[in-house]
Amino acid sequence: MSDSDVFDVVIVGAGIAGAIVAHELGKAGKKVLILEGGPKVPPDRSGYMETFYKANAKTPESPYPPATQAAVPATADNPLGLPDPAGENTPRYTVLQVDAWRKKTQSYFDYTEQEAGLTGTSLNAKFAFASSYERVGGGTTWHWLGTCLRLFPEDFQLKTLYDQGVDWPGGADFYYDLVPFYEKANRVIGVSGDKPSLERVYQQYNVEPSGEYGAEYDFAMPGIVPSLQDDLYSKSLGAMSYDGNPVYVTPTPQGRNSVPHQNRRQCAGNTNCIPICPIQAKYDATVTLADAVQTGNVEIRYQHVASNIQLADDASVCGIDYLVYDQPNGIATGSGTVQAKAYVLAAHAIETPKLLLMSNKNPGFECGVANKHDQVGRHLMDHIMYLGWGLAKDPMYPYRGPLSTSGIESLRDGEFRRERSAYRVEIGNEGWQWAANDPATTLADFVFGQNNSQLNGNSVNEQGEPLRWDTNAPAFSKLFGAELVQTLNQVYTRQMRLGYLIEQLPDPDNRVQLSSELKDNLGLPRPLVTYRLGSDYERKSFVSAKKLTTELFNKLGATEYTKAPADPVFYKTEGGPDVTSTSFQYTDDDGTTHNFKFYGAGHIVGTYRMGTKPENSVLNSRQQSWDHHNLYMVGSGVFPTIATGNPTLTIAALALQAAENIKQDLV
Amino acid sequence: MSSMDNFVGLSVVLTGFAKSVINPTLDEVNIKAEYLPVWTERVASESGDNQLPEKILSNYQALSEQEPALTDQQIGEQMLSDSQSAAFVLACRQLIFLWYMGAWPTVQEAPGTSTGGRTDFCTLSSKSYTSGLVWRVMQAHPMGDSNYSYGYWGEPPVALDKYTGQQ
Repeated sequence: MSDSDVFDVVIVGAGIAGAIVAHELGKAGKKVLILEGGPKVPPDRSGYMETFYKANAKTPESPYPPATQAAVPATADNPLGLPDPAGENTPRYTVLQVDAWRKKTQSYFDYTEQEAGLTGTSLNAKFAFASSYERVGGGTTWHWLGTCLRLFPEDFQLKTLYDQGVDWPGGADFYYDLVPFYEKANRVIGVSGDKPSLERVYQQYNVEPSGEYGAEYDFAMPGIVPSLQDDLYSKSLGAMSYDGNPVYVTPTPQGRNSVPHQNRRQCAGNTNCIPICPIQAKYDATVTLADAVQTGNVEIRYQHVASNIQLADDASVCGIDYLVYDQPNGIATGSGTVQAKAYVLAAHAIETPKLLLMSNKNPGFECGVANKHDQVGRHLMDHIMYLGWGLAKDPMYPYRGPLSTSGIESLRDGEFRRERSAYRVEIGNEGWQWAANDPATTLADFVFGQNNSQLNGNSVNEQGEPLRWDTNAPAFSKLFGAELVQTLNQVYTRQMRLGYLIEQLPDPDNRVQLSSELKDNLGLPRPLVTYRLGSDYERKSFVSAKKLTTELFNKLGATEYTKAPADPVFYKTEGGPDVTSTSFQYTDDDGTTHNFKFYGAGHIVGTYRMGTKPENSVLNSRQQSWDHHNLYMVGSGVFPTIATGNPTLTIAALALQAAENIKQDLV
Repeated sequence: MSSMDNFVGLSVVLTGFAKSVINPTLDEVNIKAEYLPVWTERVASESGDNQLPEKILSNYQALSEQEPALTDQQIGEQMLSDSQSAAFVLACRQLIFLWYMGAWPTVQEAPGTSTGGRTDFCTLSSKSYTSGLVWRVMQAHPMGDSNYSYGYWGEPPVALDKYTGQQ
């Protein structure tokens, strides 16, 4: 008996999108096989926790295999001991690789060369991609934040309304078709949210409660308790407006438990949603994977790396080849082909286009599967993030509670969208951990007499305010005992951070290709990435975010500590500084040149997008390949634009919708 | 006085935390037993002076036994004063960082720059990470190791002295 007699559907990837499709199909009696390249979901998370606790750099990927740091002895060229991806069977890009982006033995991604003659403001400058993902059972939801915001109808009509980017196929109708699946996604994930707060936001964007955001629209659990910092913003903003929009704080709907739910515990405020929730109070895809297996119709094969898609003469998919391994750095111990009636790629927005492009042996499809019109791998996007940080006037006790409990959702749409990217603003509860690598940085400053936090030297912010914490103390003070306790306490308990999720436009030249030079341990090519911030439209929003940060901190009576980076370096010269990874410059309308650093939001989007015709997209609006009728793709790679909300709820809703389409097509 | 007694006493003086935190009566974690040998070994190897750790501890003991008794502040000032060698003072400051972060610091000085240099560090163990005093001084919990209950973050924490033991 061949696999095709056994399986109706083969899914590549055991993250949230693959798990949801598998669960829905399994419930409907379809026989499903999931191929997952990474290791299986561990029986409990203590091993991942142990790795996390010991990690020096507590990056999003730090708990998960393969090891992200201290994997090899540190050298001057590799101070963090990053492993060589060439020796790993399922390497992935990590944020520690961002600054090592041009080092081929440290960065999983290969990058196209920088062109000559660039200056700091050049729109053609290439950068490191700043976000990462996981290749393990459960996928990247292991370290998602948990934010469960919907996109708005306006997000689906960027071209029609503002002459930017593209519409989603069908425009606003796409949103309305998605509404029931958004409702269902809320239940699958188990979202805690406060309905009245969200209604205010939806009404601002002309989404009426009557059916348009769903007749049964409500959350599975009450909203998560806001942090003291959230309260401070709520109390301080008053009737503030910005670029014609009101500015107010909205408690974030979150995929974490405000009460015990789905046999998982209530959030205990570990302040560690990223990299890992120690108690699984935050939903992750392992929940749905387990549900899928419970249907009795879903089988998962771990450490099975999909390596090629086979096409039949009629251009339908007729099999997926895979390689198997025992040890993460060992040789392939087997290989095979699985067959089914339909195939779903759910390997996220880097590995999915990589697999399509690797599948280049089929007659007539020498440029890869689903790639007749050279659309695969293009339009790579992320929310490009601006961070602003400061010290509150009085203690508001960060480093407590979930990493973020509120945001500003009222700036996600407006006429300004003709001129610059929209954004949402995330209020961070983790002090300066992300912004300045605290608590270590501030501690070292006051113990050893340094000033990397700007609190203990002669630093001045852009408003001309001196930043030394104790203006009566000398610069570079070295403290101990009671004075150290008092100083650290006063500083840490006031630390605040804002993050702006700026909408990056789809750019066909921002893309994933195959490296001709670099391979992984299984001999599969590694991604070759080209990534620019190629428009004034996006860069203008960094100026907007910077100005808003200053305004908000003024309202709060806070002191701003946001530190602009040094000038970008695009070329390595003999004896000169290393090239920079994510720094750029922008000259605003007043002629002022700003230095910016962008951060990744972990939102990898767009590389196999849906569209209205094969010439502009990889998939139709049913998430089905234009070129191969029994091939579907799910995940954020299908998004035509990255829009203004964190993607996971939309990924889940689209996966539920795709599952319906597949069920229909299998009949 | 044993080396451990002096190590605990010196740690109390330098960190600003009470003995009840540094050396609690019922000490299930017993992180000091991990710190003393690491501190002794690293200080000796980094300074090239095998006697330095013991010199520091006996110097502390002498100050702690002085009559009339010195305050913790006075003992700390003497331990960290310019009259001590640079290696002696650095070893004392590394001890502070170790207790706060559960990690061993490597200090790269750059006098005259805007930052004054930088500090890299290496976490000793999962136990040392969760034992870091830095989480107490911010009236919080180690990130990823909360013993609090749902919603605590909506209320201010208990007073700082409950965390430092200095009540």
